[in-house]
Amino acid sequence: MYGQGLIKGLRITLKHFFEKKITQQYPEERPNLPERFKGSLTLNVPKCIACGLCSNACPNHVIKIESQKDENNKKKLTGYKVMLERCLFCGFCVEACPTKALEWTKEFELTKFYREDVNLDLFKGYVPSPDDDKPAKPENEDTAQAS
Amino acid sequence: MLKTQELTLNLGPHHPSTHGVFRCVLNLEGEYIQKAVNHLGYLHRGIEKLAESRTYTQFIPYNGRLDYVAGMLNEWTYVHAVEKLMGITEEIPERAQYIRVILGELQRLASHAIYIASMALDVAGATAWFYGFRDRDEILDLLEMVSGQRLMPNYMRIGGVAADLPEGFIEKCQALIDEFPNRIAEQEGILIGNEIFQARVKNVGPISKEMALDYGLTGPNLRASGVDTDLRRDEPYGIYDRFDFKVPVGEKGDTFDRVLVRIEEMKESVKIVKKALRDIPEGPVMAKVPKVIKPPVGEVYSRIENAKGHLGFHIVSDGSTKPYRLRIYSPCFVNIGIFPEMAKGIHLMDAVVALASLDIVLGEIDR
Repeated sequence: MYGQGLIKGLRITLKHFFEKKITQQYPEERPNLPERFKGSLTLNVPKCIACGLCSNACPNHVIKIESQKDENNKKKLTGYKVMLERCLFCGFCVEACPTKALEWTKEFELTKFYREDVNLDLFKGYVPSPDDDKPAKPENEDTAQAS
Repeated sequence: MLKTQELTLNLGPHHPSTHGVFRCVLNLEGEYIQKAVNHLGYLHRGIEKLAESRTYTQFIPYNGRLDYVAGMLNEWTYVHAVEKLMGITEEIPERAQYIRVILGELQRLASHAIYIASMALDVAGATAWFYGFRDRDEILDLLEMVSGQRLMPNYMRIGGVAADLPEGFIEKCQALIDEFPNRIAEQEGILIGNEIFQARVKNVGPISKEMALDYGLTGPNLRASGVDTDLRRDEPYGIYDRFDFKVPVGEKGDTFDRVLVRIEEMKESVKIVKKALRDIPEGPVMAKVPKVIKPPVGEVYSRIENAKGHLGFHIVSDGSTKPYRLRIYSPCFVNIGIFPEMAKGIHLMDAVVALASLDIVLGEIDR
């Protein structure tokens, strides 16, 4: 019979019509993002050893690092800028980081009103504290103290 | 007395049913096309030239920007070419090979799902469009889980893959793959069986076997014309020789055949992923490759079966850390070449359907 396929198609549509809706109501309903999601970048400044591996790994030379040598001839970070407008979000910088100081965040709403606001200065918000000089504690010790 | 006059019409530059910006100048006699001329280059970003100033590893993320509905397959092609150049194709760990096959076939499913969807939209079937996108979205969720990004995964590495599969991936993938045959059946029911759809696509833009070979078509478009060829079976790369799958072949090479071949291919891809998920071994995911990749002097051409056809990379190495020259053989660029021939003499309305059936992605055509 001509039109059979049409009716079959309509039946499928009708079945879905009474199903649970799968559309995500985005601004109200937040997406459940996976662990490896590449959103924005964050830097744990005390952990950073200013080695410059992230800057070298970047295909677009997005990361600019400034560092000074202190009295022990150890490199100290004095500036960390990410030109996010040219970033490919490939993640080579995070992969290259030997101390895991640079990491992805799950923040994905990176739209800004002005162009210069797009770029990140990951060093700016950093305030030195006496805890920084302490060697990084093993993780399980940290949790033991917290509990 | 009624007089007709030839009319020149710009089709585009805009998104023509598929992806990217394409312009075609049509000479119309009434509503029938006399002549069509392709105009490309609206999405040119100079990716081949960019490769010359990036190291071999740094170029991997750019591959996702070629054919951006099948990013994982492009990356696979590129890393496979570099591995061949370095002579380490045999050293890739088993687990990495299986991960590549699983993700590659998932990406092929996603690419074909978007093809069926946009094909439906071009004949004004908006429902099938949304169903296609729903299926694709679930696959992209899996890719996002593995690589962190949906379209430009940057997950393949020279010598393996970037990281092991995350926890819970196998179960989620298994659940989706078990469900997927129902999704394909749904698309078949809503689109392929529909008489209106059939009336619109049957006998539109037929490509004969000889013409397809003359124009150098590859992939599903060539198979739809009745040529039995598939690189996965004919020159198996990776571990494809371990999988047993049918190669669907069309008969007439019209638009309807091109849709059918893709539907059948999706069924085969589901089978491949199922088997790969069953057989995947434990183990490392990266071969021992030096941190700074310096392939020996020489050149290599390597191609694999992309979702659109044969995607090939020709890399010339001068022994340094950067490629001396990198050339991309793009299946979409070859496939679009036959469009003026197809469009000759057909109705303007049919030309849009014929263009959609070629499955072009302008990101890859213009590079």
